[in-house]
Amino acid sequence: MKITKTRELPANIPTASMADIAFLLIVFFMISTVFQVDKTSLALPRSSEVTRTEVLKGSAFVVIQKSGVLKASDGVEDSKLVNLEDIGVLAASWMNKNPNQPVVIKADAEADYGKIDDVLEHLRNARVTNLKFLTEQEK
Amino acid sequence: MKRPQVEEPEIPTASMADIAFLLIVFFMLTTVFSANKGMEHLLPPKEDIPDEQIDNEEAIYIQIYPSGQFVMDQKPYSIDDVETVHEYVFGKVQQNAKKPIILHTNREAKYGDMVAVFNQLKRVGKELETELAITIPSKEEAERYARFGVQ
Repeated sequence: MKITKTRELPANIPTASMADIAFLLIVFFMISTVFQVDKTSLALPRSSEVTRTEVLKGSAFVVIQKSGVLKASDGVEDSKLVNLEDIGVLAASWMNKNPNQPVVIKADAEADYGKIDDVLEHLRNARVTNLKFLTEQEK
Repeated sequence: MKRPQVEEPEIPTASMADIAFLLIVFFMLTTVFSANKGMEHLLPPKEDIPDEQIDNEEAIYIQIYPSGQFVMDQKPYSIDDVETVHEYVFGKVQQNAKKPIILHTNREAKYGDMVAVFNQLKRVGKELETELAITIPSKEEAERYARFGVQ
Protein backbone atom coordinates (compact mmCIF):
# COMPACT_ATOMS: atom_id res chain seq x y z
CA MET A 1 0.00 0.00 0.00
CA LYS A 2 1.28 3.35 -0.97
CA ILE A 3 0.77 6.11 1.52
CA THR A 4 1.26 9.57 0.19
CA LYS A 5 2.56 11.87 2.82
CA THR A 6 0.23 14.84 3.15
CA ARG A 7 2.00 17.99 2.27
CA GLU A 8 2.05 20.34 5.22
CA LEU A 9 1.41 23.99 4.58
CA PRO A 10 3.47 26.25 6.77
CA ALA A 11 1.12 28.29 8.92
CA ASN A 12 2.06 31.92 9.10
CA ILE A 13 0.43 35.26 9.74
CA PRO A 14 1.18 37.81 7.09
CA THR A 15 3.04 40.62 8.72
CA ALA A 16 3.44 42.82 5.68
CA SER A 17 0.69 45.22 6.73
CA MET A 18 1.91 45.38 10.33
CA ALA A 19 4.21 48.25 9.52
CA ASP A 20 1.40 50.19 7.89
CA ILE A 21 -0.75 49.78 10.95
CA ALA A 22 2.07 50.78 13.25
CA PHE A 23 2.82 53.89 11.21
CA LEU A 24 -0.83 54.76 11.08
CA LEU A 25 -0.96 54.60 14.86
CA ILE A 26 2.18 56.65 15.21
CA VAL A 27 0.85 59.34 12.88
CA PHE A 28 -2.44 59.33 14.71
CA PHE A 29 -0.67 59.71 18.06
CA MET A 30 1.44 62.55 16.78
CA ILE A 31 -1.51 64.46 15.40
CA SER A 32 -3.95 63.89 18.20
CA THR A 33 -1.65 64.42 21.15
CA VAL A 34 -2.39 67.77 22.69
CA PHE A 35 -0.39 68.74 25.69
CA GLN A 36 -3.08 70.17 27.82
CA VAL A 37 -1.59 72.34 30.48
CA ASP A 38 -4.79 72.67 32.41
CA LYS A 39 -7.34 70.02 33.21
CA THR A 40 -9.59 71.99 35.53
CA SER A 41 -13.19 71.35 34.62
CA LEU A 42 -15.44 74.35 34.85
CA ALA A 43 -18.52 75.74 33.12
CA LEU A 44 -17.07 77.93 30.41
CA PRO A 45 -19.12 80.79 29.02
CA ARG A 46 -20.59 80.26 25.58
CA SER A 47 -20.04 82.19 22.39
CA SER A 48 -20.84 81.89 18.68
CA GLU A 49 -18.64 79.73 16.55
CA VAL A 50 -17.74 82.66 14.26
CA THR A 51 -16.12 84.58 17.07
CA ARG A 52 -14.00 81.71 18.32
CA THR A 53 -10.44 81.27 17.19
CA GLU A 54 -8.01 78.49 17.91
CA VAL A 55 -5.87 78.85 21.03
CA LEU A 56 -2.25 79.18 19.99
CA LYS A 57 0.16 76.45 20.96
CA GLY A 58 2.20 77.38 24.01
CA SER A 59 -0.29 79.94 25.29
CA ALA A 60 -0.06 80.74 28.96
CA PHE A 61 -3.18 79.97 30.97
CA VAL A 62 -4.86 81.75 33.84
CA VAL A 63 -7.69 79.71 35.30
CA ILE A 64 -10.35 81.37 37.43
CA GLN A 65 -12.74 79.06 39.19
CA LYS A 66 -16.18 79.99 40.41
CA SER A 67 -14.94 80.15 44.00
CA GLY A 68 -12.19 82.52 42.95
CA VAL A 69 -9.42 79.93 43.16
CA LEU A 70 -6.70 80.83 40.68
CA LYS A 71 -4.40 78.60 38.69
CA ALA A 72 -1.73 79.57 36.23
CA SER A 73 0.49 77.89 33.69
CA ASP A 74 3.21 79.24 31.44
CA GLY A 75 1.99 77.02 28.63
CA VAL A 76 4.65 74.37 29.12
CA GLU A 77 4.20 73.05 32.64
CA ASP A 78 0.93 72.00 34.21
CA SER A 79 -1.14 74.66 35.89
CA LYS A 80 -0.52 75.29 39.56
CA LEU A 81 -2.49 77.04 42.24
CA VAL A 82 -1.45 80.65 42.64
CA ASN A 83 -2.42 83.72 44.60
CA LEU A 84 -3.74 86.80 42.89
CA GLU A 85 -0.59 88.73 43.84
CA ASP A 86 1.60 86.15 42.08
CA ILE A 87 -0.18 86.61 38.75
CA GLY A 88 1.62 89.87 38.10
CA VAL A 89 5.05 88.38 38.77
CA LEU A 90 4.29 85.28 36.73
CA ALA A 91 2.90 87.25 33.81
CA ALA A 92 5.93 89.53 33.87
CA SER A 93 8.22 86.52 33.64
CA TRP A 94 6.23 85.12 30.70
CA MET A 95 6.42 88.44 28.89
CA ASN A 96 10.12 88.62 29.61
CA LYS A 97 10.70 85.37 27.75
CA ASN A 98 8.39 86.26 24.89
CA PRO A 99 7.00 89.79 24.52
CA ASN A 100 4.15 88.46 22.36
CA GLN A 101 3.22 85.61 24.68
CA PRO A 102 -0.49 84.87 24.25
CA VAL A 103 -2.42 84.48 27.47
CA VAL A 104 -5.66 82.56 27.76
CA ILE A 105 -8.27 83.39 30.38
CA LYS A 106 -10.13 80.25 31.34
CA ALA A 107 -12.81 81.39 33.72
CA ASP A 108 -16.08 79.98 35.00
CA ALA A 109 -19.15 81.68 33.54
CA GLU A 110 -20.61 81.97 37.03
CA ALA A 111 -17.55 83.67 38.47
CA ASP A 112 -17.87 87.31 39.51
CA TYR A 113 -16.38 89.65 36.96
CA GLY A 114 -14.40 91.33 39.73
CA LYS A 115 -12.06 88.35 39.87
CA ILE A 116 -11.44 88.53 36.14
CA ASP A 117 -10.98 92.28 36.44
CA ASP A 118 -8.28 91.77 39.09
CA VAL A 119 -6.47 89.29 36.88
CA LEU A 120 -6.74 91.58 33.84
CA GLU A 121 -5.31 94.41 35.92
CA HIS A 122 -2.22 92.34 36.72
CA LEU A 123 -1.90 91.21 33.11
CA ARG A 124 -2.16 94.79 31.88
CA ASN A 125 0.57 95.86 34.25
CA ALA A 126 2.74 93.01 32.99
CA ARG A 127 2.20 94.34 29.46
CA VAL A 128 0.31 91.34 28.19
CA THR A 129 -1.28 92.27 24.88
CA ASN A 130 -2.52 89.09 23.27
CA LEU A 131 -5.45 87.89 25.32
CA LYS A 132 -8.00 85.19 24.72
CA PHE A 133 -11.20 84.39 26.57
CA LEU A 134 -11.71 80.66 26.41
CA THR A 135 -15.29 79.80 25.49
CA GLU A 136 -17.43 76.90 24.52
CA GLN A 137 -19.58 76.79 21.43
CA GLU A 138 -23.06 78.16 21.79
CA LYS A 139 -25.81 75.57 21.79
CA MET B 1 -4.16 13.99 -15.89
CA LYS B 2 -4.79 15.36 -12.44
CA ARG B 3 -5.51 19.06 -12.27
CA PRO B 4 -3.25 20.82 -9.76
CA GLN B 5 -5.26 22.10 -6.84
CA VAL B 6 -5.29 25.88 -6.87
CA GLU B 7 -5.19 27.40 -3.45
CA GLU B 8 -7.43 30.36 -2.99
CA PRO B 9 -5.36 33.36 -1.92
CA GLU B 10 -6.82 35.13 1.03
CA ILE B 11 -5.94 37.67 3.65
CA PRO B 12 -6.58 36.51 7.18
CA THR B 13 -9.10 38.82 8.74
CA ALA B 14 -9.25 37.21 12.16
CA SER B 15 -7.11 39.88 13.81
CA MET B 16 -8.97 42.71 12.12
CA ALA B 17 -11.52 42.83 14.88
CA ASP B 18 -8.81 43.01 17.54
CA ILE B 19 -7.20 45.90 15.78
CA ALA B 20 -10.49 47.69 15.35
CA PHE B 21 -11.34 47.28 19.02
CA LEU B 22 -7.91 48.41 20.02
CA LEU B 23 -8.39 51.56 17.99
CA ILE B 24 -11.83 52.15 19.44
CA VAL B 25 -10.54 51.78 22.98
CA PHE B 26 -7.64 54.04 22.19
CA PHE B 27 -9.96 56.68 20.73
CA MET B 28 -12.23 56.52 23.71
CA LEU B 29 -9.41 56.92 26.18
CA THR B 30 -7.59 59.72 24.43
CA THR B 31 -10.48 61.84 23.24
CA VAL B 32 -10.79 64.81 25.51
CA PHE B 33 -13.64 67.14 24.83
CA SER B 34 -11.62 70.18 25.52
CA ALA B 35 -12.54 73.67 24.56
CA ASN B 36 -9.49 74.95 22.80
CA LYS B 37 -11.03 77.95 21.15
CA GLY B 38 -11.71 81.36 22.48
CA MET B 39 -12.38 84.97 21.71
CA GLU B 40 -9.38 87.12 21.09
CA HIS B 41 -8.92 90.51 22.65
CA LEU B 42 -5.91 92.73 22.32
CA LEU B 43 -4.99 94.78 25.34
CA PRO B 44 -3.49 98.17 24.65
CA PRO B 45 0.06 98.82 25.77
CA LYS B 46 0.13 100.20 29.28
CA GLU B 47 1.57 103.64 28.54
CA ASP B 48 -0.53 104.24 25.47
CA ILE B 49 -3.75 105.61 26.92
CA PRO B 50 -4.36 108.98 25.34
CA ASP B 51 -6.95 111.04 27.19
CA GLU B 52 -8.68 112.18 24.03
CA GLN B 53 -9.68 108.60 23.40
CA ILE B 54 -12.17 108.91 26.20
CA ASP B 55 -14.84 110.87 24.48
CA ASN B 56 -18.12 109.93 26.03
CA GLU B 57 -20.42 111.04 23.26
CA GLU B 58 -18.40 109.33 20.59
CA ALA B 59 -18.10 105.94 22.19
CA ILE B 60 -20.71 103.27 22.59
CA TYR B 61 -20.79 102.72 26.31
CA ILE B 62 -22.06 99.39 27.57
CA GLN B 63 -22.27 98.74 31.25
CA ILE B 64 -23.19 95.34 32.66
CA TYR B 65 -24.88 95.10 36.04
CA PRO B 66 -24.97 92.27 38.57
CA SER B 67 -28.75 92.02 38.17
CA GLY B 68 -28.31 90.53 34.71
CA GLN B 69 -29.14 93.79 33.02
CA PHE B 70 -26.99 95.99 30.89
CA VAL B 71 -27.17 99.59 29.86
CA MET B 72 -26.16 100.53 26.34
CA ASP B 73 -25.97 104.25 25.64
CA GLN B 74 -28.32 105.05 28.51
CA LYS B 75 -30.95 102.48 27.58
CA PRO B 76 -31.41 99.49 29.87
CA TYR B 77 -31.83 95.98 28.49
CA SER B 78 -32.02 92.52 29.97
CA ILE B 79 -29.15 90.15 29.25
CA ASP B 80 -31.66 87.87 27.52
CA ASP B 81 -31.99 90.53 24.82
CA VAL B 82 -28.25 90.51 24.22
CA GLU B 83 -28.92 90.29 20.47
CA THR B 84 -29.87 93.98 20.51
CA VAL B 85 -26.19 94.76 21.09
CA HIS B 86 -25.45 93.19 17.73
CA GLU B 87 -28.08 95.24 15.90
CA TYR B 88 -27.23 98.51 17.61
CA VAL B 89 -23.46 98.22 17.28
CA PHE B 90 -23.73 96.95 13.71
CA GLY B 91 -25.61 100.10 12.68
CA LYS B 92 -23.17 102.37 14.50
CA VAL B 93 -20.04 100.70 13.19
CA GLN B 94 -21.33 100.72 9.63
CA GLN B 95 -21.45 104.52 9.84
CA ASN B 96 -18.09 104.80 11.54
CA ALA B 97 -15.75 101.84 11.51
CA LYS B 98 -13.51 103.45 14.12
CA LYS B 99 -16.32 103.87 16.64
CA PRO B 100 -14.90 103.07 20.06
CA ILE B 101 -16.86 100.65 22.20
CA ILE B 102 -16.42 100.59 25.93
CA LEU B 103 -17.44 97.41 27.68
CA HIS B 104 -17.60 98.17 31.36
CA THR B 105 -18.62 95.30 33.59
CA ASN B 106 -19.45 95.78 37.25
CA ARG B 107 -17.33 93.76 39.60
CA GLU B 108 -20.29 91.81 40.96
CA ALA B 109 -21.69 90.99 37.54
CA LYS B 110 -21.33 87.51 36.11
CA TYR B 111 -18.41 86.81 33.81
CA GLY B 112 -20.80 84.85 31.60
CA ASP B 113 -22.86 88.00 30.94
CA MET B 114 -19.76 89.92 29.99
CA VAL B 115 -18.76 87.19 27.55
CA ALA B 116 -22.29 87.17 26.08
CA VAL B 117 -22.07 90.88 25.27
CA PHE B 118 -18.46 90.60 24.12
CA ASN B 119 -19.52 87.78 21.82
CA GLN B 120 -22.10 90.04 20.14
CA LEU B 121 -19.45 92.70 19.60
CA LYS B 122 -17.08 90.15 18.13
CA ARG B 123 -19.81 88.95 15.78
CA VAL B 124 -20.21 92.48 14.42
CA GLY B 125 -16.46 92.67 13.86
CA LYS B 126 -16.51 89.36 12.05
CA GLU B 127 -19.45 90.28 9.84
CA LEU B 128 -18.00 93.64 8.87
CA GLU B 129 -14.53 92.12 8.66
CA THR B 130 -13.00 94.82 10.78
CA GLU B 131 -11.28 94.87 14.12
CA LEU B 132 -13.60 96.82 16.40
CA ALA B 133 -12.13 99.26 18.87
CA ILE B 134 -13.38 97.42 21.94
CA THR B 135 -12.07 98.64 25.25
CA ILE B 136 -12.35 96.70 28.47
CA PRO B 137 -11.54 99.51 30.87
CA SER B 138 -9.19 98.95 33.77
CA LYS B 139 -10.31 100.04 37.23
CA GLU B 140 -8.50 103.33 36.79
CA GLU B 141 -10.16 103.99 33.44
CA ALA B 142 -13.56 102.96 34.74
CA GLU B 143 -13.18 105.50 37.54
CA ARG B 144 -12.27 108.13 35.03
CA TYR B 145 -15.44 107.43 33.06
CA ALA B 146 -17.44 107.71 36.26
CA ARG B 147 -15.87 111.11 36.87
CA PHE B 148 -16.92 112.20 33.42
CA GLY B 149 -20.43 111.41 34.43
CA VAL B 150 -20.95 108.27 32.41
CA GLN B 151 -23.21 106.02 34.34
